[in-house]
Amino acid sequence: MADLRTEEFVVNMGPHHPSTHGVCRFVLTMDGEVIVKAEPVIGYLHRALEKICENRTYAQCIPVLDRFEYCTSMSCNQVFALATEKLAGIEVPERAEYLRVIMLELNRIASHLIWLGTTSLDLGALTPFLYAFREREDILDLFEMTCGQRLTYNYIRVGGVAKDIPAEFIPKAKKFLSTFDHKVDDYERVLTENPIFIARNQNIGVMSQELAIAYGVSGPNLRATGIKFDLRRDDPYSIYDRFKFDIPTGQNGDCYDRYRVRMQEMRESAKIVRQAIEQLPEGEISAKFNPLVFKAPAGELYSRIENSRGEMGVYIQSRDKEKKPLRVKLRGSSYNHLQAMPHVLVGHKIADVVAVMASLDIIMPDVDR
Amino acid sequence: MNRDELAKYLLDKFPDTLELLETGKAEPFFLLKKPDGLVEFCRAIRDDVELRMDYLCQMCGVDTGENFEVVYSVASVKKRYRFDFKFPLPYNKAEIDSVQTVWAGANWFERETWELYGINVRNHGNLTRFLLPDNWDQGFPMRKDWDAPDFKRLPEV
Repeated sequence: MADLRTEEFVVNMGPHHPSTHGVCRFVLTMDGEVIVKAEPVIGYLHRALEKICENRTYAQCIPVLDRFEYCTSMSCNQVFALATEKLAGIEVPERAEYLRVIMLELNRIASHLIWLGTTSLDLGALTPFLYAFREREDILDLFEMTCGQRLTYNYIRVGGVAKDIPAEFIPKAKKFLSTFDHKVDDYERVLTENPIFIARNQNIGVMSQELAIAYGVSGPNLRATGIKFDLRRDDPYSIYDRFKFDIPTGQNGDCYDRYRVRMQEMRESAKIVRQAIEQLPEGEISAKFNPLVFKAPAGELYSRIENSRGEMGVYIQSRDKEKKPLRVKLRGSSYNHLQAMPHVLVGHKIADVVAVMASLDIIMPDVDR
Repeated sequence: MNRDELAKYLLDKFPDTLELLETGKAEPFFLLKKPDGLVEFCRAIRDDVELRMDYLCQMCGVDTGENFEVVYSVASVKKRYRFDFKFPLPYNKAEIDSVQTVWAGANWFERETWELYGINVRNHGNLTRFLLPDNWDQGFPMRKDWDAPDFKRLPEV
């Protein structure tokens, strides 16, 4: 045994690996079964959205940005609309703000349900996937009856929203919300105390608070490390300061804490939607905004919102009396999460790559843009 | 500190380094007057006990048609502050210092700026192909004078 030759070797994981949620490649340097170094290789989904936006008017950017992070298209619309409104000083009517919040929070639940389904699928549990997509279907029905789309909504526009909700929306949303908390209990009954699930998640992919902040990790992943930071409360935008909701946090920053935080967040989002439906005022749904002649004044700003994965931001620089933005920079939260991921992988087994990537909720269109 | 107090605090603290820009429409937007002192400035705002700007939201290049600009959006998780700063760069001397020693997450943002704009980053350590294909040889696509070969610009209406 003494002269047995050992050396590190390289494993190529992806780009067409089913658990990479898009097309991401990992170059893993392995010592036996243990990861020594991990390097993400990205760019397979690069669609040059930033360059495309430079050649479009502000109103034309919104449907393009639906594709930026397609699990939460509402947030992509919202972040760009919000930035343009700040830039041009457009006041959004009250009712539009409430409709936006309802849609954003429903979209957050839908996105977390995709995460729940795919995460459990990645870890070998098929049942929650079917449960989660059943509830997601109800939300997509609500979106479909409002704006006709199920994935890329193009609903939140500069100055307000595209259409008012139909009469059947509120009863259907209330019906969904009345049972949703029990549905979350159902998911938790399958997973939270499941010994296999715990073994796959607890103390896996532990992220320290220092690492998370240094790498710009945000959203549920940051909160799972114990930092109570949520842009809806700490840098409030739209009308989020009118709602009461808790900010769930974890302690260890491992995969299991991230799971717990996201499960709690779904309940909190449902809480916000309930309050918003309760308070929904009558009125206009859009400010006066003519997309054909709109010209932004010279200015620049970076505007950010909390989407389901974390901080989503857009930097816009505009020239005076120009119809098109000079520069649009998109900031997706998965970009920073994927960047931090190699540091939490070191020392884990190769099967944990799947668990960590799933629990960080990385999707590739957000990274490659 | 609110927006104005934050702007005033920064201007008092760094009078020779910062200039408040009128173009900033939301949070305070500063011009960094001495790009050579970028890393020292970043470290100073991160370690300042009043500010604690420990979080880099984003960093990007801009091609204005006359020169490059580099924009940094920074935030504080502990103190909930946020502001931006930028500085211009001439086309013929497009070079910046890496701020990875201050915010580790700057790595990919800088790599992207290098790849898409051709702005060189000193002390980066890993300036390799990233978003573009490995065999890319058609220049820097985010520059204003670059159009895709099959791109047809529509007439303005």
